[in-house]
Amino acid sequence: MSVVELRDVTREHGQVHALRGVSLEVSAGELVAVMGPSGSGKSTLLNLAGGLDRPTSGVVTIEGEDLSRVKDVAAIRRNRVGYVFQDLNLIPSLTAAENVMLPRELDGVRAGRARPEALAVLAEVGVEEIADRFPEELSGGQRQRVAIARALVGERRLLLADEPTGALDTATGDEILELLRARCDAGAAVLLVTHEPRYAAWADRVIYLRDGLIAETGAVRLESAR
Amino acid sequence: MSIRLSLLALLSSGPRYGYQLRVEFEASTGATWPLNIGQVYTTLSRLERDGLVEPVGADEQGRVVHTITEAGREELARWFSTPVAQTDRPRDELAIKVAMAVAGGVDVAEVIHTQRMATMRALQELTRAKRSAAGGLAQRLVLDSLIFKAEAEQRWLDHCEAVSKEKNR
Repeated sequence: MSVVELRDVTREHGQVHALRGVSLEVSAGELVAVMGPSGSGKSTLLNLAGGLDRPTSGVVTIEGEDLSRVKDVAAIRRNRVGYVFQDLNLIPSLTAAENVMLPRELDGVRAGRARPEALAVLAEVGVEEIADRFPEELSGGQRQRVAIARALVGERRLLLADEPTGALDTATGDEILELLRARCDAGAAVLLVTHEPRYAAWADRVIYLRDGLIAETGAVRLESAR
Repeated sequence: MSIRLSLLALLSSGPRYGYQLRVEFEASTGATWPLNIGQVYTTLSRLERDGLVEPVGADEQGRVVHTITEAGREELARWFSTPVAQTDRPRDELAIKVAMAVAGGVDVAEVIHTQRMATMRALQELTRAKRSAAGGLAQRLVLDSLIFKAEAEQRWLDHCEAVSKEKNR
């Protein structure tokens, strides 16, 4: 089942064509990596897939819902989509657990319920023991795990990751990919933007964007990748 | 060369017979370099001729067991303390192919494209092997080495593409 789908999507910023007609589907249990030189439209693609930006033309659907037709896109963003970015991830004045609780609390879930949920998902990503520490007390890898926990809490099934391994060393970066891969294998759909081939190689499919178009895809699919 | 020294390295932790050496070599290197048993026996007999190993009898099933000699240990220590020279590696066919494509007026972008797809597939397969590898640290590090090499090739292809695009403007 397709969790997110882009159909003939274009995005223009004034005279600049950031995306020039892209179609892409990511199914449950699938990890798709997007690669391409800077300025090729990778981040634009991710923002459109997550409802953070609107296409100039074309259709984006999340779990079957056309984002241009739903009343409350913000609710879909909060409930169904998790975002992990290279930086600007955690709020420094909140503990790891509080950071993970935040999206749930914004959704009106009480702290009494949000906290056990946060602890459970922190355990799933392997950092249960640092729940009550502040971001500055954590290593880069731990911070990124907390960010992934926050993206997953509340059973969101679409995870969008923009260079999530940014400043991490390769061994820690591999651990982050292993974690994303495990979430996929448990049924999530993950769209990963990366400029590093070693991380893209964890994906079921790798897509190359060039000048706002998909240049190469499909051929690198590994049918039995999972 | 490296088979000879690898066998010495395996023998340095205790006497072994041929088949055991083959199994351990493949386990350590993640079966990346399959070794046939004939190669093992030929290499052992050369090592014996050169005084780097010696037979120390047979096990209960009659298999000849070899042990490393003092000269063998010295040879091994020399190997580990000497860096691998760039010139010991074979020529890079891909670099030559891209150079010839440029020189011969062939569509370089197409050569790069074809290679990139193949290299990414290889990288995916290596990553999958790493994920399912039950072996120990040695095996994982060998797979990592191949991953780093494939990654470097992929980066170099990106670089070729960017530079040749620049030149064609």
